[in-house]
Amino acid sequence: MNSTPAWLTVTLREVETKVRDKAFIISTLITVLLIIGSIVVTSFLANRTANYSVAGGDELSLAVLYQAQQDQPDDVDLSVQNIDAGRARTDLADGKLTAVLSAGADGGFVIQGREEVPGKLTGLLDAAAQQVLTTRMLESAGINPEQLPGTDLVSVELLEGDAERNSMIQAMAFIFSFLFYMAALIFGMPIANSVIEEKQNRVVEILASAIRLRDLLAGKILGNIILALGQLLVFLGVGLGAAWLSPVQIPFLGVVFQVATWFVVFFLAGFLVLAGFWAALGALAARTEDLQQSSGPVVTLLIAILFVGIYAKGTVLVIASYVPIVSSVAMPIRLLTGTVPWWEPVLSLLIVLGFCWLVLVFAERIYRRAVMHTGGALTLRKALKLED
Amino acid sequence: MLQLESITRSFGDRPVLRDVGFDVPRGALTGFVGANGAGKTTTMRIIMGLLTAHGGTVRLDGKELGATTRPDFGYMPEERGLYPRQPVIDQLVYLGSLHGLSRPLARQRALDLLERFGLADRSKAKLESLSLGNQQRVQVSAALLHDPAVLVLDEPFSGLDPLAVDAMSSILRDYATRGVPILFSSHQLDLLETLVENLVIIQDGTVVASGPAETLRENHADKHRLVLDGDTGWLREVPGVQALDISGPEALIRFDSPHIAHQVLTESLQRGRVLEFSLHRPTLADIYREVIR
Repeated sequence: MNSTPAWLTVTLREVETKVRDKAFIISTLITVLLIIGSIVVTSFLANRTANYSVAGGDELSLAVLYQAQQDQPDDVDLSVQNIDAGRARTDLADGKLTAVLSAGADGGFVIQGREEVPGKLTGLLDAAAQQVLTTRMLESAGINPEQLPGTDLVSVELLEGDAERNSMIQAMAFIFSFLFYMAALIFGMPIANSVIEEKQNRVVEILASAIRLRDLLAGKILGNIILALGQLLVFLGVGLGAAWLSPVQIPFLGVVFQVATWFVVFFLAGFLVLAGFWAALGALAARTEDLQQSSGPVVTLLIAILFVGIYAKGTVLVIASYVPIVSSVAMPIRLLTGTVPWWEPVLSLLIVLGFCWLVLVFAERIYRRAVMHTGGALTLRKALKLED
Repeated sequence: MLQLESITRSFGDRPVLRDVGFDVPRGALTGFVGANGAGKTTTMRIIMGLLTAHGGTVRLDGKELGATTRPDFGYMPEERGLYPRQPVIDQLVYLGSLHGLSRPLARQRALDLLERFGLADRSKAKLESLSLGNQQRVQVSAALLHDPAVLVLDEPFSGLDPLAVDAMSSILRDYATRGVPILFSSHQLDLLETLVENLVIIQDGTVVASGPAETLRENHADKHRLVLDGDTGWLREVPGVQALDISGPEALIRFDSPHIAHQVLTESLQRGRVLEFSLHRPTLADIYREVIR
């Protein structure tokens, strides 16, 4: 005889059916490739330095070029060629030079390019020219430019972390919100659909005569959680792994790793609540078509969460990080700032788990009553009036 | 023996079952008949523990069955359905393991049953790709997989072609012989005639007749058939005779007392030749029509 508990048999079936589903495998693979691809492209773009080779035809131009070389940013590699004008022209025509800089008669400069001059180079040279000219004018007036108030007299300090960290938070906020939204739909909807399928076909009568409906529901929810979590871990793992392996130094990777762990925990809790919603919705429906109408509120809620995750700031975000389901994305996003005390996520987690328990107890009641009901779709109120 | 006693159940204010009681003995097939909406499916669901009875008991060999699951029962619900998009063998193995079989055993049993129904080569096909008759066979296989202690089948014969009806009958007969109590509902009274040893007739939530088919036939054998060589119209005038169906030389009549039967036979013989005088044996269909009237 079989000693596998009924709920486990149901769980295994849910997982088995899904991982054998070609559409599921293909969409997972495509997403993995997209994640790897986007990280490779990002690091490639970040890594690419522009190489410019510029010739100066006169003393002033060369001074500007050397100044520019000194000031060049990390992603620019400027080499200066000290050659005569004639050779500079042929080299430019041959493509050996990016541009030729020469001082004009009116005190300005001319940058000569072959077909185009990169905007980055123009900007760099422009700034350098201004500095060189200013210095020379000051010197001719007998003033030491170093005595002038410097540009870094005013330094920037942000209340909410630095700019780099903020853009990391923004990117991660988007990723967390989107992952949650996707998983809630991709793995939540099937809970409802599989409940409807069994209800519509009346398989549920055979199942219910063999095992308790509670076990059936538990197995169904658990199966889809395993699938959702598995996929999430694959996505996060691939994404973080690729980011770690990429040659570019991605800042805050340590923080992101840590918060990703919190996200997985919050994700689980939030998903469990939604699973209860989906199961109840499935049980209330009579046919798959009914779900399209009744799922409206849940889908709206999910979109709202997506927006809160991406756009919410300040107090709104703090409040959101304690509201069940929304907290699944809002709290991890707050944690990215690194300034949230440890008890906050723990408290928020307790709140969502408590809420989760309520929802599941309620959902199980709805499910048990409504799933055996034959006839049309039920409203919540009607379902609660049904008896076993 | 499976026994139902004083089962009541209502949906809202509407009573659906009123004091329903009958026996489903071992070693016999019990047919369950009644009009649509008479309460057959509700009764079966209560037997299967899918619905709670508001009153009364269901007992198996004297032991009361509560509102719990019945993993050792075999059940075929009224509206058919397994998983349309799953291969036949996969869902049978799944259902088998839910009924407590190990997966290899469930697979073995499923293949044996499919073999018996001539579906062995379709085991890997998706259920929805099978004809309705074949889907029905898979459905029955699902009910039989775990070698059930009791079989409850809602309309197992509906939608089956004559060969499938034979296969189904022989399987049910087989299980009945093994001593499994079997209750099945059907609208095909002519089929029940040759198949069942036991019958339950339900009307408006009340059992109007139940018991061994033979006893029912005997109890309802209260009509006589009389065939003369002349017209039988004169029987209409005889006091104490109910003329049920009289056409030319043939008559179906009921006598108020045995004494009148004797009197009628004597008169018939005086009028001419008596070709047949017999106790009319009612079919189950006759009994059904009579009791639900």
